[in-house]
Amino acid sequence: MIQRLLPFATLIVLFVILLFDQNFRSETNLFSVIRQTAVINIMALGMTMVIITAGIDLSVGSILAMGGLLGTMAMAQGQPILVGVLVGILTGALCGFVNGYLITRLKINAFIVTLGTLGIIRGLTLVISNGLPVHQIPPGFSFLGEGIILGVPFVLWVLLICALLVHFLLEHTKLGRYSFAIGSNPDAAFYAGIPVAFHLTCVYAICGALTGLAGMIEASRLMTGQPTAGNGYELQAIAAVVIGGGSLRGGEGSVVGTLVGAFIMGLLSNGSDLKGISPYWQQVIIGTIIILAVSFDELRKRRVV
Amino acid sequence: MLLDLKSVQKRFGGVTALRDGNLSVREGEVHLLMGENGAGKSTLMKIVAGMQGLDDGQMLFRGQPVNFANPKAAAASGIAMVHQESLLASHLTVGENIFLGREEMSGFGIVNRSAMMSRAAKLIEAHGFPLQAHWRVDRLSPAGRQLVEICRAIANGTSLLIFDEPTSSLSESETKEVFTIVKKLKEKGAGVIYITHRLEELRTIGDRVTVLRDGATVHSGDLKDLSRSQLIQHMVGRDLGALYSRQPYPAGKPLLEVKNLNRAKILKDINLTLRSGEIVGLAGLMGAGRTELCRAIFGIDAADSGELIVDGKPVKLTSPRDAVNAGIALIPEDRQKTGLATQLSVGWNLTLTSLGAHSRFGILESAKLTATEKKFIDRLRIKTDGPAQKSVRLSGGNQQKIVIAKWVAQGARIFLFDEPTRGIDVGAKTEVFEVMDGLARDGAAILMVSSELTELIQVADRILVMRQGKLSGELPGRTTQEEIMALAAFEEETQS
Repeated sequence: MIQRLLPFATLIVLFVILLFDQNFRSETNLFSVIRQTAVINIMALGMTMVIITAGIDLSVGSILAMGGLLGTMAMAQGQPILVGVLVGILTGALCGFVNGYLITRLKINAFIVTLGTLGIIRGLTLVISNGLPVHQIPPGFSFLGEGIILGVPFVLWVLLICALLVHFLLEHTKLGRYSFAIGSNPDAAFYAGIPVAFHLTCVYAICGALTGLAGMIEASRLMTGQPTAGNGYELQAIAAVVIGGGSLRGGEGSVVGTLVGAFIMGLLSNGSDLKGISPYWQQVIIGTIIILAVSFDELRKRRVV
Repeated sequence: MLLDLKSVQKRFGGVTALRDGNLSVREGEVHLLMGENGAGKSTLMKIVAGMQGLDDGQMLFRGQPVNFANPKAAAASGIAMVHQESLLASHLTVGENIFLGREEMSGFGIVNRSAMMSRAAKLIEAHGFPLQAHWRVDRLSPAGRQLVEICRAIANGTSLLIFDEPTSSLSESETKEVFTIVKKLKEKGAGVIYITHRLEELRTIGDRVTVLRDGATVHSGDLKDLSRSQLIQHMVGRDLGALYSRQPYPAGKPLLEVKNLNRAKILKDINLTLRSGEIVGLAGLMGAGRTELCRAIFGIDAADSGELIVDGKPVKLTSPRDAVNAGIALIPEDRQKTGLATQLSVGWNLTLTSLGAHSRFGILESAKLTATEKKFIDRLRIKTDGPAQKSVRLSGGNQQKIVIAKWVAQGARIFLFDEPTRGIDVGAKTEVFEVMDGLARDGAAILMVSSELTELIQVADRILVMRQGKLSGELPGRTTQEEIMALAAFEEETQS
């Protein structure tokens, strides 16, 4: 139990320590932490579902760029903002569907498939955009990333809605229950007559859709559709899930854990910035945290069995 | 005295696995270790083999107090263990596995592969095992793996060998070979500890017996002084009375008909009918194709030709999902691997196959789920702290009940039980039989694959026998073991 609460405790301790810093306490800084974390957080929610099925999606960074690019291109073509956002989400869902389809039909390991699509989708993003960012975006679009509702950033509400949605999917639907079963023992799931391929494809598509939304938020914050956006984000999303107690062996993971994991990383990076720790050292710190988190988790499990 | 364990205790977290383990093994004796699952046999043996440390008590080996830090330390003293579950590196060859961790070296850290492989080949040949040193372990059957484990344990000469249920996956002839090895070791003055659930094997092989119950030694003495029912009584702590026997039940209409089923070299022209209300036994030696038949009916392996008729209607089953939709359930022989998601809770496993009936538009109805979980835990008397407990914490018998219950909850009508009592204790076996009987009475059709002939005779209404992929005959339920064996093995003997 103690170890299960460890990520949570770490987050609180981190937060309390940082509260002593005047710069941290400022509204501008707090909002910026939320906005920075939201993008990774929303991706990590989708990644949580994928990792629960004992899968992995390395292509989310590329999907984020593709979603953001096509969404902003739709707006640049004169489509309304809402349509643009939908285009971004659907693009992500389609990419995720392709991942899921390849994994389940060709029966290739998810790591390999998404390693391939990481390159393919990134490449296509550059081909479509010719390497150039999209700038002709309606000014109202900035509200998604920078707007404020009820005194907090709009993205926080978006994040909360996504978190509730994924939590509901995982805990209260057949899809969620099957995801845990598939991740915990794929053979037993198959023998139980669960349509494993269908549900896995759904999970990857949902992960893609959330990543597409994250891509639109990223585009809104930058007010450009960047074909190079999201480079390396996949590892941050995976790290958030793992720090929050998700297991790459599948069958384990939770929305709350992932939120905590993502905020730990967000606060670490913000805190390091404020304390003047170089971004080089930040990478070392985050890497250490990942290994520590997983070690504690393994210790806990060893004691149980 | 070769090995002496005195008041050994072992706890895992809050669970006491051993509270008073006592065991003395002499040189040159075969010592049986018996007890229900969860009695602490495996824990006790893991302590002896250095896989776990003891919390309290004393272990003497050749009169010296010892507490092995790891299996290597135990092996250095000449203690080896043949494990129940295979602990082999499946991508390596048989020979490499036999000498894993003690490879023949030719200096500079280079493995002398050819010397090692020829030593392995000699070892295999000396015992007449149907193995080749260069075969990859992942291509072997469970029985084959078990034989590799045995080779591995005896390769370097041991003074105390522990067998953890070695014959539960072996065929008759392989079992005989294991017994020959045990006898040889005994003649050489080595001690052998033998864990088994198979009461029939005792008389032929054992000298003395120690019975564990609930983590404590309850009996230790010569085997010949002990009757079978006394032994069972020690194990379960109560009088079981007669062995399980079942009232046959008049069979109804055919639920499943298999016609001319073929699958290249594995299943040859199988015809069988399962009727509502009957339990049909399926006997046969290891590799006769019994599990393969279940897999083909359940849609896991595609048949080359043949027809399946469920409830009078021809069906095409290309996946377990199709089979489940047709009302067929498989209780697989390998519970941990294919039967149960052991890391998930009891409740989740119980309702895994019936989530469709417990949800609307894909959204789970938790009140209904909770009710179903409770209902089946009570109905099958599953011993658990509650639906939220992880399945891995339950005993084999209770895990098996979960696997059965999830199909009952799903509403299956045709049950394929593949070795339903493998690795579960005497008391739980009877409970499993009672569940099967109840299902038959409610109108289900049951196919029961078992290597335990006495169980088939006790439970089945009629017994089909398979040999080399073919159905070689059918016997009434009240038959003898000899008649079954004659059908299961006869042709093999005349051919060889």
